[in-house]
Amino acid sequence: MAQIRLKNVSKRWNKLVGVDNFNLDIADQEFLVLLGPSGCGKTTTMRMIAGLEEITEGEIWIGDRLVNKLEPKDRDISMVFQSYGLYPNMTVYENIRFPLKVRKIPQDQHHDRVMKAAAMVELEPFLERRPAALSGGQRQRVALARAIVREPNAFLMDEPLSNLDAKLRVSTRAQIKNLHHALKTTTIYVTHDQIEAMTLADRVVVMNKGVVQQVGTPMEIYDRPANTFVASFIGSPAMNLVSGQIANGIFTSEGIRIEGLSHATTGPVTLGFRAEDASLADSKGQIEAPIYSVELLGEATMLSVRVAGELVSIKVGKEYRAEIGDLARIAIPAAACHLFDQSNGARIEA
Amino acid sequence: MSEAMSHKRPILLNTLIYVFIILWVILAAVPFLWTVWGSFKVEADFFSRESWWNAIFGTSTVRQTGEAFTGSGYYGAWITRDFWRAAFNTVIVTICVTAISLTLGTLGGYALARSGRNYSFWILIAALVFRAMPHITLVSGYLLPFFQLNIWGVLPTSIIVLVAINQPFTLWMLHSFFLSIPKDLDESAMVDGCTRFQAFRMVIMPVMWPGLVTTGLFSFLLGYNDFAVTAMLLSADNQTMVPKISSFLGSIQESGNVMFAVAAVVSATLPLFILVLVFQRQIVSGLTAGAVKG
Repeated sequence: MAQIRLKNVSKRWNKLVGVDNFNLDIADQEFLVLLGPSGCGKTTTMRMIAGLEEITEGEIWIGDRLVNKLEPKDRDISMVFQSYGLYPNMTVYENIRFPLKVRKIPQDQHHDRVMKAAAMVELEPFLERRPAALSGGQRQRVALARAIVREPNAFLMDEPLSNLDAKLRVSTRAQIKNLHHALKTTTIYVTHDQIEAMTLADRVVVMNKGVVQQVGTPMEIYDRPANTFVASFIGSPAMNLVSGQIANGIFTSEGIRIEGLSHATTGPVTLGFRAEDASLADSKGQIEAPIYSVELLGEATMLSVRVAGELVSIKVGKEYRAEIGDLARIAIPAAACHLFDQSNGARIEA
Repeated sequence: MSEAMSHKRPILLNTLIYVFIILWVILAAVPFLWTVWGSFKVEADFFSRESWWNAIFGTSTVRQTGEAFTGSGYYGAWITRDFWRAAFNTVIVTICVTAISLTLGTLGGYALARSGRNYSFWILIAALVFRAMPHITLVSGYLLPFFQLNIWGVLPTSIIVLVAINQPFTLWMLHSFFLSIPKDLDESAMVDGCTRFQAFRMVIMPVMWPGLVTTGLFSFLLGYNDFAVTAMLLSADNQTMVPKISSFLGSIQESGNVMFAVAAVVSATLPLFILVLVFQRQIVSGLTAGAVKG
């Protein structure tokens, strides 16, 4: 159990920047998710914390120890790999026991601890099997059991669910959430899947191209994205972004006009709103445009229209029916709109 | 499936295929079987000028020894001419060459496979160049310094030279085996509490056996079959089997005994058969697939 601190951490390979000036305090018992597209530096950050990657610049503290120069084994963390990293020549039991064995924990504790860890991830029936005889989900549970068996300072999980099929991913995700609740160990979890991030995290760190874009609770990141990257990365579908002009609190662009916005800014801006915040207007809407496509989702219908050259998605009721080309009138409440600076994409606070 | 295919095949083609296979097996096996058979005859039969049927019926063998088969070639080679000593030397040389090559090869191959540095590529390329060199080039360069250092003629010297010749190959082979083992294995072992070396020893080596057996066999064969190095660098007393066999054939100064050579050849080949039979499964899996399935 420990807090983890990253101070001005950077990783460079010659001129290639992997992670740029990463600063973060991770509280004890926190579940922190590093989220971003592939190649954004999230895995590199985690590997630097684990000690598998050298730190070019900056400091990493685990608890009250500076760990920059420590070997992975001396950092007292455990890690779950995307490809499981199970030892193929050992049984499940031996795999789970391995960390206890190499760390010279007294023999008489081994059996109890292995059984306890196995029970937590429901692996008891498979203890005598080898990894090759297990399914993907079972293998990932072995990796989890191996991580929890020795009660480390922190868990690091590197996209643990991405090799699993969709159904298994949901149940394993729940299992990870439950494990964290039971063990209360600081956890750092890397993923590119924003749903995993939203469901699991206490706090999310959104990264892009090695730079932290935003740090916040899932709701903060969803409700108040710090820039257009976060806005377009979080949410399914992503936030609609339309570029246009704002003056006197009125945003205008081709096919769209929204009144009652902040008076603070004037000039070119990007306007963002979420599909579920928009609705069909009875008379005159903020958007009036021909329908581009209608997609049935089951629980709702997704309507697309073209506004200022961009496709904009609107979530409407599941009974909604319309033909492509019909005119759609769409209401967008001004309170649900976000404004972003067009030059750097940063959020403009109202 | 193969049955269904053979039904469709015309009979003529089928016959041709089988004739070809049988011919091929005969061509491949007869020289060796002929040597084994002939090794139990006397020279007058096996190298008969009258008729090669003598080698089969053993006319002279019966005349000279009273029986159709004789072990005199084996007796002469093993006892009279001390072939046992050569066999013993071969055992020492091959075991040492294999052990040293594998030790250095696994350590080096692992390091090269896991190092992300540029120079590891150049080390491998350099190794390839040395691998491509004819063995005799190394030997001729070594002869004079070995004489001056007074280490010519003894087994350790040839062992070192053979290891030097073999090392590039073992390095390459083991390097590619290590590459086929996912890096995640080392890394999870290191996070679990191993040092780099413990991860290598406790996690990586146990899944490397097929690669080790295959590479080890090739190293063994190199030491076992080598002629260039052992013939030039070993004194007559320390000769291994292959140069010893060659000496049985005689030289300009002394006449040899061809039957000793034939018997020695058969004796030297037999262990190889046994070795390949014992390890055939590992060799095949080592040659075809990576050590670990992903």
